[in-house]
Amino acid sequence: MLTTAISIIDAYINFDERFTLNNINWTVEPSQHWVITGTNGSGKSALAAVLGGVGDLESGSIQGIPTNVGLVSFEAQAELIAKELKKDDADIMDVISVGTPVREMIFDDCADPELAQTLIEKFGLTTLLDRAFRKLSTGETRKVMLVRALSSKPDLLVLDEPFDGLDADTLIMLQAHLASIVDTVPMVMVLNRFDEMPDFITHVAYMDKVQLDKKDNKSNTAVGNLALTIDRQDKTAFEDLYQLLHLKTTDLKIPAAGSSNQLPGLDASQPLVRLKGVTIKYEDTVIVDKLNWTIEQGQHWQLSGPNGSGKTCVLSLITGDHPQCYVNDIFVFGFQRGNGESIWQIKQFIGYVSTALQWEYRVSTSCRNVIISGFYDSIGMYSKSTDNQKKTANEWLELLGMRDRADQPFNKLSYGDQRLLLIARAMVKHPPLLILDEPCLGLDDMNRQLVLALIEKICAASETTVLYVNHHAEDKITGIDNYLALKKNN
Amino acid sequence: MSNNYFNTLPLREQLAQLAKCRFMDISEFPEGVDALKGKKIVVIGCGAQGLNQGLNLRDSGLDVSYTLRAAAIAEKRQSWKNATENGFVVGTYEELIPTADVVLNLTPDKQHTPVVKEIMPLMKKGACLSYSHGFNIVEEGMQIREDLTVIMVAPKCPGSEVRAEYVRGFGVPTLIAVHEDNDPKGEGLALAKAYAVGTGGHKAGVLMSSFIAEVKSDLMGEQTILCGMLQTGSILCFDKMVEEGIDAGYASRLIQYGWETVTEALKYGGVTNMLDRLSNPAKIKAFDLSEELKVIMRPLYNKHQDDIISGHFSKTMMEDWANDDVNLLGWRAETAETNFEKTPAGDVEISEQEFFDNGILMVAMVKAGVELAFETMTAAGIVADSAYYESLHETPLIANTIARKKLYEMNATISDTAEYGCYLYNHACLPLLADFMKDIKTDVIGKGLSTEDNGVDNARLIEVNAALRNHPVEAIGGVLRGHMADMKKIV
Repeated sequence: MLTTAISIIDAYINFDERFTLNNINWTVEPSQHWVITGTNGSGKSALAAVLGGVGDLESGSIQGIPTNVGLVSFEAQAELIAKELKKDDADIMDVISVGTPVREMIFDDCADPELAQTLIEKFGLTTLLDRAFRKLSTGETRKVMLVRALSSKPDLLVLDEPFDGLDADTLIMLQAHLASIVDTVPMVMVLNRFDEMPDFITHVAYMDKVQLDKKDNKSNTAVGNLALTIDRQDKTAFEDLYQLLHLKTTDLKIPAAGSSNQLPGLDASQPLVRLKGVTIKYEDTVIVDKLNWTIEQGQHWQLSGPNGSGKTCVLSLITGDHPQCYVNDIFVFGFQRGNGESIWQIKQFIGYVSTALQWEYRVSTSCRNVIISGFYDSIGMYSKSTDNQKKTANEWLELLGMRDRADQPFNKLSYGDQRLLLIARAMVKHPPLLILDEPCLGLDDMNRQLVLALIEKICAASETTVLYVNHHAEDKITGIDNYLALKKNN
Repeated sequence: MSNNYFNTLPLREQLAQLAKCRFMDISEFPEGVDALKGKKIVVIGCGAQGLNQGLNLRDSGLDVSYTLRAAAIAEKRQSWKNATENGFVVGTYEELIPTADVVLNLTPDKQHTPVVKEIMPLMKKGACLSYSHGFNIVEEGMQIREDLTVIMVAPKCPGSEVRAEYVRGFGVPTLIAVHEDNDPKGEGLALAKAYAVGTGGHKAGVLMSSFIAEVKSDLMGEQTILCGMLQTGSILCFDKMVEEGIDAGYASRLIQYGWETVTEALKYGGVTNMLDRLSNPAKIKAFDLSEELKVIMRPLYNKHQDDIISGHFSKTMMEDWANDDVNLLGWRAETAETNFEKTPAGDVEISEQEFFDNGILMVAMVKAGVELAFETMTAAGIVADSAYYESLHETPLIANTIARKKLYEMNATISDTAEYGCYLYNHACLPLLADFMKDIKTDVIGKGLSTEDNGVDNARLIEVNAALRNHPVEAIGGVLRGHMADMKKIV
């Protein structure tokens, strides 16, 4: 039984140079039961394996890992099988080795033979006891590993995807058994499927992949990061995590704009946006000084710069929201500004999200209508929506895991949920240009993860050109490779 | 001195003009801004209405520039800054007026006569002059050159809201009119419609009215229910609560934010909904109080309407203009010295429902004021649509200004004309309600009804509910709010 907490502080842990866990801070108390979850390749199994003593600690500290850890994972399983095969190769006698029989695998060094016997029967392994371990199927091997770990009187149980590949009856049996031992041993499980999480789990750790800077020469190394830990008592955070995993792990398709929402065609030979020597000034203060900038179709950009460098001003010249767009040389979506075009002719080509927009979007309209309003570039809905638009909006709500909130008033949602809906609003018509002005500003970690996940899906899945504004380097978006940095003018 | 235009008309024509008001359907605007496309629009004045309307028109693809007095340009006054920082061309009257196809006069009412006299000789032959309030034409009898088209486009909201609603993709309800004596080419209506589209007004509802109906109803609404009743009610309710021993900070907060809260219910569902927010006994109480108030105040409402129709109001006010605003400025100073104005809102929490429960008298005053203004206007020949917009519709807008900075903000936001009328009303109404206020106790203002007497007589409740729902302002309100609700689902 674990008596002191396991404590991992500022740890960088290497796994065969292929994988690194980055800056891990994590405490497991003896009374807690954890699930580790996250996207594929984010290091869930690696973090679990650390508790089984795997990996090279490069810096930081790991304390309190007990000596007797019951570890079940694909990696441990593969290792054990590899060991068995080696035995065979090493056999110098002129007989064909059958390898270690299952009985031996289980009962040698078994701390609780009585329990082992019971579990063998429950797992239906009785008839396999005399078979060679390495001749078993993957599922059978997995069951043997579980019996070994459970009957070893472990101080800590680490179970990486223990329910994978089990038939329904066995799954129920195993869950019931685990539930019966919660008071005797702390457990850490890796689970991909949220709905398999047993009721006794008290905490959730969420892992995320880290995007490496190119200058860091380890481009072959994937890096995992412990992004969040959540107490299950925190219902809101728990629900948000469910939503996040839904987004990250489902094979998403961005809903089509629908046939009734066709935009006028754009000349492919023309840039989307061309600013020539644009200047914004108030009285004697120059905010933007003679800026030239061209955005070609399909060219994703990141715009950065310190506060007051005019990022938002430049964007509002493009969207037509800045009054000085009429005194500058601005070409957007086929219009040279100031020649009798209306602002709505410009806005129809743009999807836009910013903190200011969220501020302005103080309406009592429904969540579904907020998404549909993206077809009209309006804040609130002032026209009757079509059935097609409703269908598209429903698909978006589905994608966001918010289908059941379609008719709820938008202004009653959390800040992060509102932001997600506004991103859907910006994308709903598949605009040629999607402008995301600090989309993560003011969001907590959980909602930031949600928003980034959504934007990545959008970048990957649609024909939209993305213009992303941010000064947080960690919020980089895969697929953006053009950068414009604005400097403060005074 | 000026010559009142309305009084020069025969009765038949007066009645016809007063009765002019029709709610236009959005389908009546298929040409959009076409009638103004390519025309040069020059705006005089760059205050809240001038700037925000200009921004909307330009964003609708129209050619807008601003003309200011040479001194305003030379001294780089706020109006000059407003226009230049927003990227507009700015020039003097001499530079820009001769080039204009349409001139929008968006200066304050008081300046209309000198401004119009100055620009008229400079205007191109056959151009259009647009007003946002008909006072100059109707009350001052300004004569406009025969070749010029004269129209009115009046958004029924403050300038900042005209812009904010446009940016959201909507607009604000807008009144349009053509001055029939000045429509030589018959293009006035087309120009006014295009202008309303350019500011987004067509999405929120356009009322086609006349210069006369606009002036006579606008003056009536602003000086009675909109500003006058709220000012008088604020002073009376505050003094009564303090007299009855209620904490002054609480009283101040209850009134400052109470008007806004109760009229919010009015905006959504008319007088009926405002009273439905009360408990049954409180509703009957509010109803009875308002009936009493209506009897006491009806002669005052009639007098205001009579003076507006006869031109007596504008005549006396213009005399004050000519006398350096002595009355206006004196009354303004007096208002600043009232106890309500001088007592800051206390740091106490008042829930939304508490504003109703403890403000039964305020609800009764709003109901009495709205119904009286509506009844008086319609009795004077103004049609229900107009009377609704100039009474019930605008009450929440004015109540918002009191919530911002009490009576000072209200009187600063409204025009000098409205402010002058508001003080006239207030001075007459305070003594009129003195006896009525003697019987008022904290059960209807400050503390709410005691919960012991929660019973009501069924027959009486049915009677009260029927009376509320059958008032003519509720009938037209239901129709007009229905038009709005189809389009506007926004707070």
